[in-house]
Amino acid sequence: MISPRAIIALGTALAAVGLWWLLPGSSASRRTLGGVLALVGFGFFGSQVPAVGDWCTKGMFHAISAATIVAAVATISCRKPVYSAIWFGMTLTGTAGLFLLAGAEFLAVATIVVYAGAILVTFLFVLMLSQPEGHTSYDRRSWEAMISAFTGAVLVGILTTMIGSAIAKADQLPPPLSGDGQGVIGDVGRVLARPARAGELKPTLQKPTISRLGAELFTRYLVAVEAVGALLFAALVGAAVIVSQGRAAMKQPDTTREGGTAHAS
Amino acid sequence: MPPELVALQSFLSIGAVLFGVGLIGFLSRRNMIVMFLSAEMMLQGVSLSLVAWGRYHNDLGGQMLVIFIIAVAACEAAIALALVLMLFERKGNLDIAVWQELRESNQPPFEEDPPESEEAPADWPHLTPSGVLPKSVAEKESYRRKV
Repeated sequence: MISPRAIIALGTALAAVGLWWLLPGSSASRRTLGGVLALVGFGFFGSQVPAVGDWCTKGMFHAISAATIVAAVATISCRKPVYSAIWFGMTLTGTAGLFLLAGAEFLAVATIVVYAGAILVTFLFVLMLSQPEGHTSYDRRSWEAMISAFTGAVLVGILTTMIGSAIAKADQLPPPLSGDGQGVIGDVGRVLARPARAGELKPTLQKPTISRLGAELFTRYLVAVEAVGALLFAALVGAAVIVSQGRAAMKQPDTTREGGTAHAS
Repeated sequence: MPPELVALQSFLSIGAVLFGVGLIGFLSRRNMIVMFLSAEMMLQGVSLSLVAWGRYHNDLGGQMLVIFIIAVAACEAAIALALVLMLFERKGNLDIAVWQELRESNQPPFEEDPPESEEAPADWPHLTPSGVLPKSVAEKESYRRKV
């Protein structure tokens, strides 16, 4: 029996090499091989990721997370940025499905509406404004593909190992008496203190979750909602100012340059 | 193992993978738009972890923080895309390498690799020149390399 840590380490190495070869800049055969390697590596990861529930929920979780991660890898490895954006939309849909499985229905809908509906479309607009021909030379190469792939994969491996050991440690802890972490000692105990009603999962798609969320959003977090509204307004004005002032500054670049040098001298 | 711990571990692991893939994309891609897509992917990974923690502690605070993350991401996307559009209009290029003069002074300059040999055409048809050579504007040539 191989230990889970060894499997995670092997998955990390395979995923790192696979992502390195998948990133733009390598030949077609290497990209195919990299795709296979990354699939195998993330498969090793997935074999160590547990799921909860009956077989249907487990299968759903594994299918959605596999789709999410495959789409994420395709986002960063596609040479055409438009394809990257569309694969990112697939990642967003997968994340929304995972939110739904985790019992966050409002966030699932909000992710699709705000991210896939607004942010992604804005990205596509800018892409079409600036790169109508679709393919460029700089999309065919990448910065330091090997170093960045290994950095990211090692980070993921360390995080997964740490999560696994912390969860195993929390499993050993005695269940708390009052539910707020008193009675257990240490950082892991404080963060991972079991909720008071331990032992069973809150069923997802419970009806009053959204209404409770709304009630809490507009009572306890009312000031934060106002602040976010102000931030959105400032961002709107800022985006308009950046575009219009930038265009105006580009129309007479000589005057600004002279002013700058005169000021510097 | 109790089911809530299992659920926490599964969602945290998927969030970590999303974050790592986004990190790789942000570090290695050269197109500014794809870099921002990767940054948004890192935000998705963090949101997934927050939702998992909120579910574990039976607390709505995690979901609340994700709502604010989505709002801030919308602001960030608006500002970032306005900036990217302005950068594009200055250099005619979405490549982040054209802004390499902003690097620190002790860093070596980035040198473009030689182009791939397989893409080089075997031989273009050769036309005899005729007429007057059009006057070239230096500013236009910087972003219209193909013309």
